[in-house]
Amino acid sequence: MKDKLRRFLRIDRRWIFLLLTAVMVWPIIHPFGLSGKTSQQSVRDFYDFVEKLKPGQAVILGTDYDPSTKPELHPQAVAALRHLFSKDVRVLILTFISGAPGMIEELNQTVPAEYGKEYGKDYVIMPYNPNYMAAMTQMSIDIYKAYDKDAEGNDVRGMPVMAGIKTYKDIAGVIEITGTGMLDAWVAYAGDKYGVPIIGGTTAISQLGFGPYLQNKQIRGLVGGMRGASEYETLISKPGKATSGIDALNMAHLLVILLILSSNLILLVIKEK
Amino acid sequence: MENSMSIILGGWLSAGLTIFLFSFLYKDNPLFKIAEHLYLGVGMGWWFIVLLYGTWIPKAYEPFMQGEYVLIIPVLLGLSLVTQFIPRISWISRYGFTFIMGYGAGLVLPLNLATDFMAQIAGTIKPFSQLASMSWGAIINSFLIAIGAVCVLAYFYFSVEHKGIVKKASNIGIYFLMIYFGASFGNTVMARFSLLYGRFDLLYDFSGASYAFATPIIIILTVGFFALKHFMDKKKNSGAAQP
Repeated sequence: MKDKLRRFLRIDRRWIFLLLTAVMVWPIIHPFGLSGKTSQQSVRDFYDFVEKLKPGQAVILGTDYDPSTKPELHPQAVAALRHLFSKDVRVLILTFISGAPGMIEELNQTVPAEYGKEYGKDYVIMPYNPNYMAAMTQMSIDIYKAYDKDAEGNDVRGMPVMAGIKTYKDIAGVIEITGTGMLDAWVAYAGDKYGVPIIGGTTAISQLGFGPYLQNKQIRGLVGGMRGASEYETLISKPGKATSGIDALNMAHLLVILLILSSNLILLVIKEK
Repeated sequence: MENSMSIILGGWLSAGLTIFLFSFLYKDNPLFKIAEHLYLGVGMGWWFIVLLYGTWIPKAYEPFMQGEYVLIIPVLLGLSLVTQFIPRISWISRYGFTFIMGYGAGLVLPLNLATDFMAQIAGTIKPFSQLASMSWGAIINSFLIAIGAVCVLAYFYFSVEHKGIVKKASNIGIYFLMIYFGASFGNTVMARFSLLYGRFDLLYDFSGASYAFATPIIIILTVGFFALKHFMDKKKNSGAAQP
């Protein structure tokens, strides 16, 4: 018995990888529908902020993520853009991450068409800008100093979406979806300095680090990881990739908890003997 | 037709590279190496193209050709950094670095001091001036934050010997840190599983007829490769063992 238990502790980890694959793929093939409850206040704050926006107001949507964090952040960006478009808010999409233009293109090909939104009138995509500090600082004086052309090289000054927008004071808020320090930068360079409301979407890893900003109202709302994204999708009644992913995530967590508990119990039994 | 062919090819490429990278979990192998090197090469190529067409051409070349000659100054400062690769003239790069350091520090320090330092201290103290209008939950929360902040700071304060009240405070600080690390680890696990789900979800998408059954075929071929390699290695070893 003792030897059998010891053998279990020395199990080849590749069997665990295989088991993990099985428990994660199973709900992808047959979804259980375990998600659906909203519990985090910060996600509700994010939702409430967008909900209170008036038609015609302009919002900056920062999409600073690349394929490495896409499963967590892309559903957040899709949900945020859907919510903004449903409120008829004008959206300025921009990025400071070189891997993000592909992600923005994916957003552009899917979400605007769902709401009949027109490029240049309802939203605009700004080009990748490598120097976020310069851009954020310049935008406080004149947005066109940082972005005079869109991602396709068209002049943005004549676009209806930019009508009446010159500085941060013409912007109703910044929604920043990122796994990088870009959310900190928006807080420092736009939020704290010019009073622009900052709302964030971030990876689960980074989520805790933004707790102090959230507590201090330097960030008005925060969606963290795939869990946060699924809660937000539930709030806007548009289930997407995050909602379907929660089943797999729950199963994987259950497996980890089961393995930790069983290993510790076995260790206790071996020790007692 | 051409479009659907490129989508199918994209699916095969994506599924293949994902499976090749996952194959490392079984053991190191040439398929993993191919995917790893491709990832590095393509990443560098993408970065170069984005910088060339996203920054150099629209921000430097085009305005310069239209008569904005003052741009030569930042361009030269930027180019000076490249001299790092030529030891004989690498001293020139100091001009570029000096500018970056001065500009960066000037911009970052005051703002970050206000955002991450002063605003956080104010945020910790402020609730104590509003206790009368706060709920019991908010009051407890404010006390927890203040006690946590002081005790964790005491743990990292090394200018006095940790004994007496300082030791007690730093010991409490350890519990706050442990709770943070535990929550942080939990979130990290969740984030990693989310990424794994992302790949599995795509592999599932690519397993259908619309992608010419890319995932199952590549998995079968990869397993076949490992079986063949195992068989050949075994044969080679048994041949070498014979006198």
